Amino acid sequence: MSAVLQVSDLRKAYAGVHALDGVSFEVEGGSITGLIGPNGSGKSTTIDCISGFQKLDSGKVVLAGNDITGKVSHLIARAGMMRTFQTVRVYEKLSLRDNLAIAAQQFDPATWVDEFLRTRRYRDAVTASEKRARQLVELIGLQKYYDIETGILSYGQKKLVALAAALMPHPKIVVLDEPVAGVNPSRIREIEVALQQLNQAGETFLIVEHNVEFITTLCHKVIVLDQGLKLAEGTAAEIHADSRVLEAYLGTTPEVAEEEMRASA
Amino acid sequence: MKLVLAIAAALAFAALPFLSGSNYIVGVGTSALIFTVAAAALNLIYGFTGLLSFAQLGFWGIGGYATALTVVTFGGNFWTGVLAAAAINAVVALVVGYPMLRTSRHAFVISTLTFALLVSLIARDWVDLTRGPLGIPDLPPPRAFGHVFSSTHQFYGIAWAFSVAMLAFLYVLCSSRIGRTLVAIKQNEPLVRAQGISPMPYKLAAFSISAAITGAAGGVFVFHLGIVDPLILDFYYMQTFLIIVIIGGTGSFWGVVVSGVALSALPEALRFSDDFRMIIYGVILVVAMFAMPSGVAGWLRERELARLRASLR
Repeated sequence: MSAVLQVSDLRKAYAGVHALDGVSFEVEGGSITGLIGPNGSGKSTTIDCISGFQKLDSGKVVLAGNDITGKVSHLIARAGMMRTFQTVRVYEKLSLRDNLAIAAQQFDPATWVDEFLRTRRYRDAVTASEKRARQLVELIGLQKYYDIETGILSYGQKKLVALAAALMPHPKIVVLDEPVAGVNPSRIREIEVALQQLNQAGETFLIVEHNVEFITTLCHKVIVLDQGLKLAEGTAAEIHADSRVLEAYLGTTPEVAEEEMRASA
Repeated sequence: MKLVLAIAAALAFAALPFLSGSNYIVGVGTSALIFTVAAAALNLIYGFTGLLSFAQLGFWGIGGYATALTVVTFGGNFWTGVLAAAAINAVVALVVGYPMLRTSRHAFVISTLTFALLVSLIARDWVDLTRGPLGIPDLPPPRAFGHVFSSTHQFYGIAWAFSVAMLAFLYVLCSSRIGRTLVAIKQNEPLVRAQGISPMPYKLAAFSISAAITGAAGGVFVFHLGIVDPLILDFYYMQTFLIIVIIGGTGSFWGVVVSGVALSALPEALRFSDDFRMIIYGVILVVAMFAMPSGVAGWLRERELARLRASLR
């Protein structure tokens, strides 16, 4: 496997505070990589910087061999990186069908003239997009909502819509910003299964998430950030065993934590 | 079904001059058609793209003056005048639109308002070109193939053909994927960018097309009046277009077309009570806005959605 995404020495400061202080990592093609860390560790800043939603101060981002450092968000999306947002974003007043169609339209060859005149090229593109949309809707189990405005869906269902939309144009990598935050626990399992199926079909994911259990079940590799620095990197088991990670999360080492628990019991 | 209804309505409007001998009624019909086109153009930028543009008033005025001056000063005719009005407005909109659209939505509204005021100042004060407050009276009636459209009834035919052509164009545009993208930009711009779409070309195109159509409508309208003066930039026109769009339902093509015709005719239908008709008109508008804050089309859509929601339970 080769790296689809290479991030090196990412730096970003807000008014003197170093949100990112030289973060480097890679995401292998066909893998699920997790990015975790306590609040304020720089997770969101990392994905906002690599997806072009924030300007980075220095560093380098390479997507499938193309240097995308500092490009604007829509060009990074066109290069093959699709992302979702922490606070779910869908087109609330458009149908699920339209939500998915819009996500793919920039990636087909139809021009404005084709769209205005409804040419053959436009109709072919629509047929292809429709086929992909049907598959994804089946996967997320929202078939009966296909022609209905997404505004009426639950928060968890909207997260699924955002996931499906990100997958529409066959991206090289999908970046998910907290895909299960605020989602009803009974639905988390559904999202987990959907992501596993998609990964088996060859999709690559980079997931930022607070839910450690969710990350350790899914991810092949986990990266831990703390205070703008990479604290640890490895498989879920390796991360679990790393005392520095526990310290960053709990403020203590496991030994102390255990003692405290015994004392309180 | 919608298309059949639309064609039937267009033919019904074509029949108006044959049904009424009254210059007054046919004149009201002419205004209604032209206002509906200008409102539909405002709907493209405001209803679909979500950008409240007061610059429409400026484009309407530029269109009126451009058409009149083409005929009176530059030796063209009505038809080239309307084309020039559309072309000039498209270019002006591209030039002023680019910086305006880079600002926040609120700043955009203020800068379009400023633009409209600026056009009105130019109309009044650039006396060498516009002849100032006196305006340009006695605009000659349009001619084509040796035929002179001199009566109100004949001019109605021009307004009818113009509005059918412009509304058909706007319908094809708004119902296309381009129209859907404009709605997406209005609803969630960061998501649009995350999906690889650059919002600026869409916004600029919508602004420019809206300007061109509004300008052409202004050109046709001044030849209906027979005069162009700085009153063409009276805020009354902007208010009329805006009310048509809001009552019809922002972002609904058919809602705005129906409300355009209905609201242009409403003050005339209330003539039975000359003293109170503008008060009644105002009351109807206020009640409509309270009862249906998202317009007639928005109200119908919410009912439809409630029904769907119930059926899914």
